[in-house]
Amino acid sequence: MSERREVALVGGATTRFGLRAATWPELAQEAGAALFRAIPALQSAEVDSLFVGAAEPERFAFQSHVAPLAAEQMGLTPRRILQRTELACASGQSAIRSAYAAIASGLSDIAVAVGVEKMNLPSMAEANTSMACVMDRPWDGAHGATAPPFFAMVAQRHMHEHGTTAEQMAAVSAKNHRFANTNPNAQFHEKVFSKEKLLRLPLVAPPLRLGDCSSMTDGAAAVLLTAAEFAGRYTDTPAWIRGSGQYSDFHNLANAGSLTEWAGMRRAAEEAFRSARITVNDLDLAELHDCFSISEIVEYEALGLCPKGAGGAFAADGSSDLGGKIVVNPRGGLLGCGHPLGATGVAQAVEVFDQFAHRVPPARQVPDPNWALVHNLSGSANVHSMMVYQRGG
Amino acid sequence: MAGATPGAQSAGRSPGPPEPPNERPPFLLDFFPLEDATQTRLSRFFDELRLGRLMTTRCPKDQSLSWPPRVVCPSCHSEEMEWVELPKGGSVYAFSAVLAGAPLGMESEVPFVVGLVDLDGVPLRLFGRIVGKSWEACRLGMSVAAEPFELPDGRVFYRFRTEP
Ligand SMILES: [Zn+2]
Repeated sequence: MSERREVALVGGATTRFGLRAATWPELAQEAGAALFRAIPALQSAEVDSLFVGAAEPERFAFQSHVAPLAAEQMGLTPRRILQRTELACASGQSAIRSAYAAIASGLSDIAVAVGVEKMNLPSMAEANTSMACVMDRPWDGAHGATAPPFFAMVAQRHMHEHGTTAEQMAAVSAKNHRFANTNPNAQFHEKVFSKEKLLRLPLVAPPLRLGDCSSMTDGAAAVLLTAAEFAGRYTDTPAWIRGSGQYSDFHNLANAGSLTEWAGMRRAAEEAFRSARITVNDLDLAELHDCFSISEIVEYEALGLCPKGAGGAFAADGSSDLGGKIVVNPRGGLLGCGHPLGATGVAQAVEVFDQFAHRVPPARQVPDPNWALVHNLSGSANVHSMMVYQRGG
Repeated sequence: MAGATPGAQSAGRSPGPPEPPNERPPFLLDFFPLEDATQTRLSRFFDELRLGRLMTTRCPKDQSLSWPPRVVCPSCHSEEMEWVELPKGGSVYAFSAVLAGAPLGMESEVPFVVGLVDLDGVPLRLFGRIVGKSWEACRLGMSVAAEPFELPDGRVFYRFRTEP
């Protein structure tokens, strides 16, 4: 095998996330405009490849073949690789990983990864139907399984086995909502959620309350990736992709095994850290997939940031906040930003780039970050996808 | 329009018995499995379920049990899967309830309880609806039993009922 080329993420941008009066193509147009604004040196003809993360445009937007649609909306004419990536909640990271692989192998030099999702529909029951299709539809979805009851069972088991509390889960959500207040593109940018307020919100799937759950969100995000020799054209502070890992060991809920172990995440993390030649202790920040407050708690444990069962305390004592052991989800997380499935993983990478470039508001700037992890789970935590970034420049 | 719609009445076709009222949602909004032997090789699951038996497939070569039922063994890729009956009793490993955000067609059933059930004596943990108690009254480890129930359109599916 020929040598792998180094790959840099050289910039990116997101649209406003939320309940948007915007169709899927309009969101793709906005992402394109935001990307070209964020990277003034970028010429559309330079982009040889486009990877489009989109989880369910067939269901949410009644639209297939979205890769050329996105290219047209963004003003791109890819001549090497054009493809859509679908991995439910990790579709956006999947687009970045595919661009990374294409550039590392030499098939692409300059690629855009964009994630787009339109989720708010006139009929939210139809939208919920689409979410149930992420599960094994005829065997799990047919019983009414969507993400909230599944992650509620994770929370129930974690509380049962480790004494985790609703207050600790609210601490995760309060932290991420506070960070979202610094992010003008976050769905909940203007809403203040104290721990006390979160604990008074209605139950959605007990023990999870509304504030423990990320929302149905419309949004898009785009990043530019290049081979090392082109990175300097676009930025002085590239984010180098140093490692990645992914693991999947089940799909049907019957085959999940322990709901609190997340063994697949441990395996993905081992590979991500091995390939980047770092340990979890080298990380300065992590964008973790907080689709639910309990998810972030289990993720601290699966990453090895704290012992198994200690994730609730890790959140409550500030270990994952500014000034703590690591800063988790300074962007505002899925809880604060909303979770447009295809866009989320791309938006997390934008945050890593902006943190490295010291471009975020001081209230969420991690001091001098050098190493960052982006993690997405998808479906019922049956896939874990990770990328490790190092600041350059 | 090119091509005839399958099942549509056309000249020359002798009229069969009247169609049952179609209570199914459009196919791509319908959650429940196709139970028709023209569409799946697993239709026996539903035939047996109608008779009160909960079945799945087992590989005769390595004896591994699968859930859901399959046509190929995931371990040795044998295509000779055999049907075996499962115990109906089990205990609840985890549960929650859908209090909001139900999919289309299930809105009127809210609130409903769902859970993962460890079947007695076999290494399978099945997901399903749990009926018989409110979510507030359900407990980890409580006993439940699988039972068939009929959908409005006549198809059959399974759920768990709490012990009285
Ligand atoms: Zn076998």
